Amino acid sequence: MTTFFTILSHTVLLDFIRGPLAWISFIIFGLGLIVQTFRLVNLTQKKETRHFAADNAFVPEPLSMRERFSRRLAFLKITVIGNNACMVMFSILFHVCLVATPIFLLGHNVLLDASFGFSFISFSEKTSDFMTLVVLMCGLVFFLRRLLLPRVRIISTTYDFILLFVAMTPFLTGFLAHHPALNYHMMITVHILSGELMLVMIPFSKFFHMVFFFVSRFMIINEYSMGHPKRSWRF
Amino acid sequence: MAVLIRVSKPDVVFAEHLMRTKSEINTDSIKSILKTNKKQIKLGLAMCAHCSLCAESCFLYVTKGNDPEYMPSYKFINSIGRLYRKKGKVDKQALEEIRDLVFEKCVLCTRCYCPFGIDIPSLITLGRSVCRSQGVFREYDK
Repeated sequence: MTTFFTILSHTVLLDFIRGPLAWISFIIFGLGLIVQTFRLVNLTQKKETRHFAADNAFVPEPLSMRERFSRRLAFLKITVIGNNACMVMFSILFHVCLVATPIFLLGHNVLLDASFGFSFISFSEKTSDFMTLVVLMCGLVFFLRRLLLPRVRIISTTYDFILLFVAMTPFLTGFLAHHPALNYHMMITVHILSGELMLVMIPFSKFFHMVFFFVSRFMIINEYSMGHPKRSWRF
Repeated sequence: MAVLIRVSKPDVVFAEHLMRTKSEINTDSIKSILKTNKKQIKLGLAMCAHCSLCAESCFLYVTKGNDPEYMPSYKFINSIGRLYRKKGKVDKQALEEIRDLVFEKCVLCTRCYCPFGIDIPSLITLGRSVCRSQGVFREYDK
């Protein structure tokens, strides 16, 4: 098996998956993201904002900084942050590291520089390693949670496990390729392929929540929306 | 017919009439409700990450000893989601199971919270609409 991948890596296949296939997946990712975001935004419509007469407007007593802070804290306690502090922490860490690690990884930026002559800033290798481990650890927590907690298990499907697996594979194989415990060529081949698979899947699967989250939070008038949204769903 | 005349409340008469006559399911009327609201149902189902973070926002979930069947996501996935997946082709028993979810296990207080912003109450409302169209609803006097 190892010999097979070693031979394979020096052949046309590796050139293909890091050449044309990478381009295809980036194009599908980019175009898919634009089209799907357009379709999602098209499901919304501008809503008339309600104006209240200034005379009737309720003006609360100004609060001191301490009071404001304690009220915020009391409010947070009854939100999802207060109820599921641990899960929220894992989730934020997971998503930040999941997005930031591949963009600011030294190896990826070296490739970018060699191909296009530009690159993003890079984290040190130790930082990237740590962030990759954070993603993997959070992935493991999500997996165990899905498997063991009755409330998550009852709504889990095979598709959820597949998505988690698809999201974890590029990180696991990338880490193993950088710290060659196993065959490097095999790892890097699986790493590139799984990364491309994930890119292609983002606009067309549940991964699309990366756009839906921002649309529903910042564009739709809702009790939990942020900023000053002026639209509503048009179903 | 005599029974119908004796009952004073018109809506109860209509309900009993529906329950007697609609022992069979009118799939076409279910399909029409699903078709009208297809985009909303599809988006809700597609975006639910099955994270279960909505659980504690349901007061029934908390008061019923953290029973997962009271979780908002479970309720909409297994009511309108089930109808959508089956394309409306469900039997009376399935509708009665859905009735238990959307009428008995939800009071539509609209306090459920989804981290992604899915409008769960409106999806549960659609589940109720389908049930009601088939004469399946909560029997308050049972």
